Amino acid sequence: MTSNLIQNYISMRPTVNPNTQSNQSVVKTHEKPKPDFDIQKELDNRTFIKPLEGKGRLLSGNIFNAPAIMFKDMVYDAKALKHAISGKANDHELGKLNDFGLFLGGLSIAGYLFTRKQTPMTKGMEFVGLASFLGAMAIWPKIAIQLPAYLIHGVDVQKQYEDSFGRKKPFYQDPQFLPWDLYSDKEINKMGDRMGVPKDIPNRREFIQEKMKKIGIQNNTLWMLTAGFATPIMSGLICNLTEPYLNRYLDDRNNKAADRILTNLETYSQKYKNTALEQELTKLLDANQNKLLNKDLQEAIASILTRYMDPVTAESFKTDLREAAFGKETYKIEDKNVKEIIENLNKVFKKIPGADAEFLTGVIPDEKSVTEALQNSGVFGKDIETIEFSTVTDTIKKLVENNAKAYNNSHPDKQQDIRYIRKLIMNNMTEEHNSSPVKIVLKKAASNVLDSNVTAKLKKVVKYIDNFNMKQFALDEYALKKVGAAPETVIANYWNDVSRDLMNILGFKPEEIAKTRSDRTLMGAVLREKIEHIVSDKNSYNKAMEKLVKKIADINSKIKTSDLSTPLLSKNSANSAYDTIVDGLFDGFAKNLRKDDIGFVRTARAIAGVDKNDVVGTAKQLQKTYVRDRLLGVKSSFYRIINTMDIYRRIASSANSIPALQGKYIEVQEELIELCKIITLEGHSSDHATKFFMMRNPEPDRTHGSVAVKNGKVVNKYFGKTTELTDIPGDKYFYQDAMRLMYEGDMHPDTMAVLKESSIKEEVLKYRDVVLEKLGGERYFAKPRHLIREANTTGSDIKFLLTGIAPDELIFKTGQQLYNSKKWLKIFGGFGAALLGVTVLAQFFFGKMKAPERTGKK
Amino acid sequence: MILPVNNIKNSIYFSADSNDKEKKSLDYDHDTLLPNNPLTNARIGMDKLTNAFTLYPAKGLKGSKNANFYEFLTMGTVPYLVGSAGLMAVFNFANRFFSPFDKVQASKTGQKMALGVLFYGVLKSLSKQFISRPVNMLTGVDTDQPYAKVIYELPDSINDTDITSIEYHRVFESVEFPRWDLLYGNADKGEKRNFRYDKIAKKLNMGENLNDSDQETKPRIKEIIVKSNLAKSISSYMWAATGVALAFQKPWEDYFKAMTFKFWKPQEFFKSLQVFGRSFVRSAKALYKGEGVGVSKHAGKILLGIALFSSAAGVINAVAGAKNATKQKSDIIKSNEKHVVS
Repeated sequence: MTSNLIQNYISMRPTVNPNTQSNQSVVKTHEKPKPDFDIQKELDNRTFIKPLEGKGRLLSGNIFNAPAIMFKDMVYDAKALKHAISGKANDHELGKLNDFGLFLGGLSIAGYLFTRKQTPMTKGMEFVGLASFLGAMAIWPKIAIQLPAYLIHGVDVQKQYEDSFGRKKPFYQDPQFLPWDLYSDKEINKMGDRMGVPKDIPNRREFIQEKMKKIGIQNNTLWMLTAGFATPIMSGLICNLTEPYLNRYLDDRNNKAADRILTNLETYSQKYKNTALEQELTKLLDANQNKLLNKDLQEAIASILTRYMDPVTAESFKTDLREAAFGKETYKIEDKNVKEIIENLNKVFKKIPGADAEFLTGVIPDEKSVTEALQNSGVFGKDIETIEFSTVTDTIKKLVENNAKAYNNSHPDKQQDIRYIRKLIMNNMTEEHNSSPVKIVLKKAASNVLDSNVTAKLKKVVKYIDNFNMKQFALDEYALKKVGAAPETVIANYWNDVSRDLMNILGFKPEEIAKTRSDRTLMGAVLREKIEHIVSDKNSYNKAMEKLVKKIADINSKIKTSDLSTPLLSKNSANSAYDTIVDGLFDGFAKNLRKDDIGFVRTARAIAGVDKNDVVGTAKQLQKTYVRDRLLGVKSSFYRIINTMDIYRRIASSANSIPALQGKYIEVQEELIELCKIITLEGHSSDHATKFFMMRNPEPDRTHGSVAVKNGKVVNKYFGKTTELTDIPGDKYFYQDAMRLMYEGDMHPDTMAVLKESSIKEEVLKYRDVVLEKLGGERYFAKPRHLIREANTTGSDIKFLLTGIAPDELIFKTGQQLYNSKKWLKIFGGFGAALLGVTVLAQFFFGKMKAPERTGKK
Repeated sequence: MILPVNNIKNSIYFSADSNDKEKKSLDYDHDTLLPNNPLTNARIGMDKLTNAFTLYPAKGLKGSKNANFYEFLTMGTVPYLVGSAGLMAVFNFANRFFSPFDKVQASKTGQKMALGVLFYGVLKSLSKQFISRPVNMLTGVDTDQPYAKVIYELPDSINDTDITSIEYHRVFESVEFPRWDLLYGNADKGEKRNFRYDKIAKKLNMGENLNDSDQETKPRIKEIIVKSNLAKSISSYMWAATGVALAFQKPWEDYFKAMTFKFWKPQEFFKSLQVFGRSFVRSAKALYKGEGVGVSKHAGKILLGIALFSSAAGVINAVAGAKNATKQKSDIIKSNEKHVVS
């Protein structure tokens, strides 16, 4: 049977009521084909192929309807996904899902890299990177293609429209199918006017459309050609621009989070509440209750309890465990041990040259005699300590000796060396080297058991430890967030912030950085020039100092001295909030460990010392000094810069009234000034320790007077003119004067005027005093009298921290970082700008078409 | 301008110069189904790539009236490749100006980024095969089947006789308008008209020797195409992400030290390849093993798992649905009847 598909279709198609042909139709369904159907008639009256009225429209987006459009698009995408899963999606929907896949893939990459990065900033930048890349893909065609094209030609080349099925598409996507009917004559003509199309040409609309189409094609091509270059560069630039803002936001958030830890330590520390130790220990104790408390078990218990302790405290704790919890080790000799001893003796004696079965039987005592002998010695079947091991060995040795003597007597031809036999029994070598056949058994005969007393004590201890750990971890988190030796801590961000601004304050130009970046000496020289230039003028000095002090003083708002202090630099001796909490926590823990029913005194001492004044090496002190030292190092580095600027200023404005220079020969004054300028800019703690090695003129010109200063620099009259120079180790006064010049006496009034308004004034002044005291009181064996304060024994760590980083080194490092980021910006920013320029410029040449002859000319 | 599709043999030459005749000889004179094999795909890829960088931009920048959507889409390769190279450059180019220490540190990240870009592209492209191959194997539907399309263009001028060009498409690149016609057998070559559809019908458990295997299978093929496309869209990006993650593993630093592209120095070049292989294996292990604790430790496994799952789920969704679909019910088409279109 053959059926006709068209006939079948027609038989089921909606029919048209001839009376309402134009607008309305009545649907009728025929089950059978119309016998009198005439296809030609149907085609002629066109009711059969009447097109549906289009519902397409041009879309215009703006900032106000953007959220609504975004939402609508998301709904569309969700529906597209649903359709695609069920296999019913159309081409447009599938295209949309590709974009969805791209986004999902991007999120996966950012998500994965997020987990690999350590700090909030680097984690955050992964998502910024994704957003900037997707953003750059979307923004480039808008700013480099759409906007210029609109401004030049008045044509929106990225125009979108919605077709009759609600599918959003770019208008110029397919040049062979442009839905011109969506534009009204008025709109087309308006664009034609804008493009300068003559008004009196035939088929003006068609001509304008052709021109628009041409512009569309050209711009689409330009977009494809430029997007590959533009997107990565724009993405990088967006990241660069975003980074400081994200950094500031995260820094602020991190700082506030840290502050909250300190103010709500009790609550916050619950985050670290962890009973894992307790559970693990309880499990172990319960499983071994009343079982032998051997070495392995002891170590297992110790390893649980000391898991989070520092090695020093852990050692004390292990001793406490042995002495105050486990008690003394005891051993019990029983029949099986005796049997084992005899077996061991057999093994060892077999190796004696000439030892035969008869010898072994004769010399090695039997179980019964050993047992009896040990019973007689009072060491059998009882708990004995290691000290009584020798009794056991001696008893057995005696038995064997007697047997050996008897054997020798009865076998004159097979004499054995009794001393050697004795030695074999007494062998005290370690187990690995086959220890004494007796002791090796004894060691395995440990008899002390894990009784309920020990268990109860340990369960108490673990509770104390858990509670202590919980709070200590919270304090550690606080310390890490604030001053940790890690990137993106409050102090690290502060350091970077000040360092970068310092370059601006001192007036470093990018080209100066570029030229000197690879040589610290060169950059140091530029730094000195910059400082000397600034200090030569009151206004420029005040301006720079104000900025500098303001920037450096940020530390006291970021890390309040009431929360974390540097006692060495503060006038009052009041404890900071952090120190108070640390004291309370560590002392409390130590007190608990000292309790009579615990008796862990060694651990308590390692934690909090014998008393309040015992601070050497205690865990409590470590907890405090870590933050103090970190703060001291950073503050000293920046206060040193203030002091350096001040010295340069004093020399520039009033060198001759500086007390340290008074009454000196001009040449010595010049030497002193040069030394101080170098030391303040480049000196390390080792320079202070060796009391400033300087090649000087041993016979300076004996002219008194004033040094000449011009533009912030000393015009040396004598210094540098002599070539026969040497260090003068006997001249302690030179050292003392240099220290005086740098750290003693009043600071310059201009500096004080700025500092007076600042929260760091007291600390800066104290800093100078402390340097004089600690570094000036440091004894150097080669120059023992080079002291300006009483000799002290301050550790080199404090001296190192007080010296801080040398300004030239700081500038050198910061300069390199700045150079790197500026270089990147210069290369890619320049390329991006050029690309944008070319892209825009090219559009002026687009859309050129020869207009048809004007109708008026005809 | 509408021209009959198959009349290229009728010698449409507008030039008065009869010597122009036969100057241009196209590979195809009508739309032609091409075998889906590496050689053909490489040839098509090369052709499209060359055109994307030369002919199409030239046409586009001139605003040619013959510029079309295919050319626009093909030109999409340009930003993809240039952008990849650009990304590599963004992370590496400036490093050469840094101080030695900074350079080493920046290059470590930069080189991983560059490798990430490369792996992104390679895995994105390769992973589509993870869908199309099994789908082809299980259903007989080759979702990537290519064909050459002969295009008639408008002459640019009166002397322009070169009005034909070839485009390379996929039979199923549009689910709304697949080129069903190309899948019919050529009777001249002794092929059965529906032999391709018969194969698919058999694979889809629809039976053998069907009268209208084409009509029976088409709805199912469409469904397979839609589902495969979805799976390719999602899974290829997940594999691409896995590629980036793989590139970020520490063992690659060994390769970067030995890396060289100087193939004219065979010893160094082969050593470099050897280290690449070793680093690849170690990195794959490192990705799976992970570092740190918690999510960080398992992030690599999770990513790899998602990629594998997306491919497997995509294939299952595409295949299972088509194999289990109920038979098409229609009042119009009856499978046991012969139909003609008149």
